[in-house]
Amino acid sequence: MNVERRRKIMSSVALLLSSLAALIGLFWLVFILADVLINGIKGINLSLFLEDPAPPGMEGGGLRNAFVGQLLITGMATVIGVPLGVLGGTFLAEYARGRTISRIISIISDIMVSVPSIVVGTFVYAIMVKPLGHFNGWAGAVALAIIMIPVVLRTTEDMLSMVPWTLREAAFALGAPYYRVIIQVVYRGAATGILTGILLSIARVAGETAPLLFTSFNNSFFSWNMNEPVASLTVTIFQYAMGPYESWHTQAWAASLVITLFILFITILGRLILKWRFGR
Amino acid sequence: MTRGLKKNPVDFLFGTLTGIASLSVVVLIGGIFFALLIESIPAIERFGIIRFITTVDWDPVAEVFGAASTLYGTAVTTVLSLLFAIPVAIGIAIFITEIAPSFLKGPIGTAIELLAAIPSIIYGMWGLFTLAPIMEEYIEPFLQGSLGRVPLLGILFQGTPMGIDLFTASVILSIMIIPFTASVARDSFNLTPSIVKESAYAVGATKWEVVKDVVLPYSKLGVFGGVVLSLGRALGETMAVAFVLGNNHQITSSLFDAAATITVSLANEFTEADTDIYLSSLYYLALLLFVMSFITLAIAKLFLLRAERRYSR
Repeated sequence: MNVERRRKIMSSVALLLSSLAALIGLFWLVFILADVLINGIKGINLSLFLEDPAPPGMEGGGLRNAFVGQLLITGMATVIGVPLGVLGGTFLAEYARGRTISRIISIISDIMVSVPSIVVGTFVYAIMVKPLGHFNGWAGAVALAIIMIPVVLRTTEDMLSMVPWTLREAAFALGAPYYRVIIQVVYRGAATGILTGILLSIARVAGETAPLLFTSFNNSFFSWNMNEPVASLTVTIFQYAMGPYESWHTQAWAASLVITLFILFITILGRLILKWRFGR
Repeated sequence: MTRGLKKNPVDFLFGTLTGIASLSVVVLIGGIFFALLIESIPAIERFGIIRFITTVDWDPVAEVFGAASTLYGTAVTTVLSLLFAIPVAIGIAIFITEIAPSFLKGPIGTAIELLAAIPSIIYGMWGLFTLAPIMEEYIEPFLQGSLGRVPLLGILFQGTPMGIDLFTASVILSIMIIPFTASVARDSFNLTPSIVKESAYAVGATKWEVVKDVVLPYSKLGVFGGVVLSLGRALGETMAVAFVLGNNHQITSSLFDAAATITVSLANEFTEADTDIYLSSLYYLALLLFVMSFITLAIAKLFLLRAERRYSR
């Protein structure tokens, strides 16, 4: 009787601690998000989006240059990274399906997904900034693309593998060559999944700071020129938060709010699509 | 499966194109290694390997560089953050798989994973402006007053609490890696066949006994893989700790002192390195970090693959 009671109490205590762990996790999420919201909302106004930075220490001004720069760098990274990722994933799931090379590349991609992003930054500095002698926007885009490729590649591989093999056989039976089967049948079947994967990979790189520090650097002026240093929201947040001015801190919080909302929105959207499409 | 490759030239072209694209990953990872190696050659020649790792000095003026202090900072923050994160993460995984009613499983799982979606720079901002003052004001003095009085253990909590130190950095890092460990642990728990759990319940085991004696032994490979994966993540995390560590190259016994990790030194000093040997030494640090995290992540992958192979059928 006594033993039984002790076992029951032990069980309740352990389960209580587990529930507490879940609460701790939720607590941090709510704490961080609420903090970003409360501090960020004060700095949100039209001039944040429409004006360029005021001289250091002066009130007013905005971060138009950083918003445009962020879009430019992330957009170019997508243009470079997505085709490579999708095509690479196609090779693993189709032409090399079941082969050793497919497994090896798959494992290397999984490792590369978690390689420290600051290391990618130093790498791109060595190949694209040092030879040119100055920071430039392209280097930032390439750094983000390098982070994107393995993510897109792995999602594409997974999504293509989920398309039933019989569907391809049906197309083969009509005499279609493999590339047409892939493009017209397999891609179509996996389109939602691949697009969602791309969306999630954009969310992943949009918040990256470390790889941009030594590549696109920062620029306090508005610029479309990718051959020059280009401002980004994340690097601006880093610079402003470490800076001495109160107005900088306010703007850093506002930029943090915008970027957090953007990323959370895409992430949740992507998850909903996956859930709706694949029921998981 | 290579059907049609010989007959159709377009198919051959498309197949080759996809092959080249997939090789880009291999080329990149090899390229990163060699580029870092080449850039660090001057520092490797000048300081050697053992000497570089064991030298504490990091003096740009005298051009004496050693990795010991940054390796120490990296090790302390990583180990400490794992210590904080693992119990919480496993608790979360147990809650989601065994305790939560089914309508809560999805939302709570997603909420925890959103923690991983928040950019690390946001963690850094929050750490600097919100967490560090709380640490300085309440938590660190409290720890000093309680654990700090315990003999031996006390040396960990000496000095004036400033909030910008190893302790705060480790706490932030632990919050960041909780979702990784938790989601891998959850997936591993889910691999336990329900028939085995039901058998345990049938002989009268309590819920905790089922978790402790059936689920955990069954999924230990996967959980271990998840922990090592988080270790790899923690090693390379930059922005979340860059704000609250102070970038001070020293080896200190107190957790309430500023320190430096490899990533923080890179973030702070890379663009300021004005001599070739300085930059090369920073590349040397990056190379060490790359090799360490590559090995860690490869080990994690090995464990996860083995866990998957053993139980998925």
